[in-house]
Amino acid sequence: MAIQVSGITKRFNDFTALDSVDLEVKSGELLALLGPSGSGKTTLLRIMAGLESPDGGSLLLNGEEALGLKPRDRQVGFVFQHYALFRHMTVFDNVAFGLKVRPRGERPGSAEIKRRVTELLELVQLSPFAGRYPAQLSGGQRQRVALARALAIEPKVLLLDEPFGALDAKVRKELRRWLRKLHDDIHITSVFVTHDQEEALELADRVVVMNQGRIEQIGTPAEVYDHPASAFVYEFLGQVNRFDCTVEGGIAHVGGGALAIPTQGGVQGPAVAYVRPHDLGVTPASAGPARISGIHVVGPDARIDIDLAGLSLEAEMDRERLATLGIAAGDRCAIHIDRARVFAR
Amino acid sequence: MVAAADSDGALAGKGGAVTVRAPVPLFRKPSILPGFGLTLGFTLSYLGFIVLVPLAALIVRSSGLGWSGFWSAVTTPRVLAAFEVSFGLSFAAALTNAIFGFLVAWVLVRYDFPGKRLVDALVDLPFALPTAVAGIALSALYAPNGWLGKPLNELFGMKVAFTPLGIAIALTFIGLPFVVRTVQPILQDLPAEEEEAAASLGASRFQTFCSVILPAILPALVTGFALSFARGVGEYGSVIFIAGNMPGLTEILPLLIVIKLEQYDYAGAAAVGTAMLGVSFVMLLILNLLQQWMRSRHAR
Amino acid sequence: MPADTSITAPASIPVPPGRSALTEPTWVRALLIGGALLFLALFLLLPLVAVFAEALRRGFGAYWLALTEPDAVAAIELTLIVAAISVPANLLFGVAASWCVAKFDFRGKNLLITLIDLPFSVSPVISGLIYVLLFGMNGLFGSYLRDMGVQIIFAVPGLVLATIFVTFPFVARELIPLMQEQGSDEEEAALVLGASGWQTFWRVTIPNIKWGLLYGVLLCNARAMGEFGAVSVVSGHIRGETNTMPLHVEILYNEYNFVAAFAVASLLAMLALVTLVVKTALEWRFGDELAASRH
Repeated sequence: MAIQVSGITKRFNDFTALDSVDLEVKSGELLALLGPSGSGKTTLLRIMAGLESPDGGSLLLNGEEALGLKPRDRQVGFVFQHYALFRHMTVFDNVAFGLKVRPRGERPGSAEIKRRVTELLELVQLSPFAGRYPAQLSGGQRQRVALARALAIEPKVLLLDEPFGALDAKVRKELRRWLRKLHDDIHITSVFVTHDQEEALELADRVVVMNQGRIEQIGTPAEVYDHPASAFVYEFLGQVNRFDCTVEGGIAHVGGGALAIPTQGGVQGPAVAYVRPHDLGVTPASAGPARISGIHVVGPDARIDIDLAGLSLEAEMDRERLATLGIAAGDRCAIHIDRARVFAR
Repeated sequence: MVAAADSDGALAGKGGAVTVRAPVPLFRKPSILPGFGLTLGFTLSYLGFIVLVPLAALIVRSSGLGWSGFWSAVTTPRVLAAFEVSFGLSFAAALTNAIFGFLVAWVLVRYDFPGKRLVDALVDLPFALPTAVAGIALSALYAPNGWLGKPLNELFGMKVAFTPLGIAIALTFIGLPFVVRTVQPILQDLPAEEEEAAASLGASRFQTFCSVILPAILPALVTGFALSFARGVGEYGSVIFIAGNMPGLTEILPLLIVIKLEQYDYAGAAAVGTAMLGVSFVMLLILNLLQQWMRSRHAR
Repeated sequence: MPADTSITAPASIPVPPGRSALTEPTWVRALLIGGALLFLALFLLLPLVAVFAEALRRGFGAYWLALTEPDAVAAIELTLIVAAISVPANLLFGVAASWCVAKFDFRGKNLLITLIDLPFSVSPVISGLIYVLLFGMNGLFGSYLRDMGVQIIFAVPGLVLATIFVTFPFVARELIPLMQEQGSDEEEAALVLGASGWQTFWRVTIPNIKWGLLYGVLLCNARAMGEFGAVSVVSGHIRGETNTMPLHVEILYNEYNFVAAFAVASLLAMLALVTLVVKTALEWRFGDELAASRH
């Protein structure tokens, strides 16, 4: 089911959580709402679910206006950040809840409910835990119960609020892959909220970057990472070197130094440049303009601190490459920028 | 208190030209949970009918006397004496409770001894035991021929029942749990590190108690004292049996109200009741301020 | 200015592990424990024992006779009736009040919470007095009620009203912090899963608060059955008609019928003991679920 959000605005007292947001979620895609806390991403998700009402705008679910509908009439599945499992019910009863509360006419028989719940518990690999209570489960297991419970009502859309936020790093990675695989199997239109860029880039078909109640950029993970549309997106996604400079014909003047910089759109004059550490190349040169002030090896990667006439920059390369270059802290070097983004100041 | 102050914020939306429907929240934040109107309506009407309107009747009735009438009704020698008895003895009882309640709380939190959980449960007895039962039990105990009254009288020549001392004992019984139950959780949450730090800096155990533990506990102790005191002023059932109820000597304020009612002096009863509420309120206010001042000094 | 009657015990009392810097010499400990226990024995235990001792002073026969005498039976019945009306009324109020206070944000909420606690800071005698001033013969509505032929004061309605007043906050003040702590996530989840408001309330909210609810009802009931001051003012003390058990105890005691007075009192004392046992059991077993009321 497709979702169309247009002109959605939401204020809490003086705080503008969403400022006229437009967004289209395509049928069957897995979309990430990415942004720092307070960017409005959770509010937008809750509005889609009917848990909040916006102050203005419209929300179309499958082409029909849904803002007037109660959550129960929207056919959405919602996975809460802290799962909100019913603590006094077993895993089985949690998953069965949405079926059991249907009006008499639409409610499946108990055998049918049992069949569907069993099927879902198999899907989330929790069959042996059907009789347990939420308090007896690990974080990752609770997460999967919450997912099975949301899927039980056969929603047309699945909404997940920080689905991996409360889990530790290892479980988070496993679950992330598992969820991607699940989505590839059942192809339900899904939107999830996250503040973790790695999560959004790895998992989503498309990423929506939000900031201060507005959408900064919408695109595939590669698009938003490689071609950030704004300074905010550049800084929010991945590591980046940011420096003020003055651009004159492809040369950026920085403090006492200068270096060639690939510019798009012919920016001239005062500018802000963004360069990712792995787009910054280093070559040993005894008379080079820069100096290596430190080298930190982190697992397979190496981070190199560079001082260019008072400007601190960071480069990144793998360990083998570092070994081939044969550089050490204190050496002088030359640097070159493979790719950069320059915004006029 | 969260309130949606959206009165003139409608133009605040920056830049994006949005037509905003006037937001609904008048005085409540919107939520999808149902039942707000129903439950709030029921709550307010129930509160109004049971509590607020009747209490207002008290004020209305005593204001019917006029200021001078009110003043002369509450300053007769008998009323003044009852004020002295009620407030004075409640104060004494609350002070006793502050000391022994603290001792009980300390022992329950810090030490281990057989039957501790039972003792801990027993502390709530005065909350659970009907006041009339406590009243007749205490007066039987302390009567001149009672289990405690007889030896006290024979050995020390002390009379307890039908004297102010008897009232103080009844008020101590009633007020004890307030001190224990306010001090206990604070004592329990006291970080051991502070005491260890004091010990490592060379303080004796007694110095540590006076300079580290007591200041941290004091606000809770004052709260417990205030609760115990307030309860004592209003207490009726446990006192009247042991008090003897001699006007001017062992007659408490609540009893005086009852007597005035029995004489159909409604206005007089209302005046004494209002004065009593007023004085308690002012004293609790002062204690609250004192306590806030202490909290701010010892804020962590 | 809360003069409340239901501060509750901490769920468990962990003793700080024997840190040597934090323990007193043995003799000091023994002295303090001994002092505390002696104080409690004298002030709490002895009165309780005295009730049963005095009740059984003339043997079990006299005890039984005192309890089965018609006026005593009438007092027991009336007490049960009054509690059977006032406890459910305050239960309903407590649930409604805690739902709107805990699940919603609105202007004036703190004032409402303060007002709910108000009856705890009013003397029981004044709690009775205010109804006499409203509905008594010389009261504001007195002549109107007389014309209508309705009697409230010196009758069962007055007893019920006064009892409702003094037990007013018990359920609400137990549930409000509990429901505030639990938040609204589970209710929202239920609504998204298609449950109606009532289904959400009965299947999600009630199971989550049931022990807190029981705890509040228990304390409310103990006070309702044992209340003396407030009902004494509105009762009129008509034997066999408007005397609840505590009032009956008073009359018997003032008539120097001590065995009978203590016999009825012993029933109330047993109620208190049962209340304490159940309360303590709830605190041990469901300490976590009651924890919201602790501080």
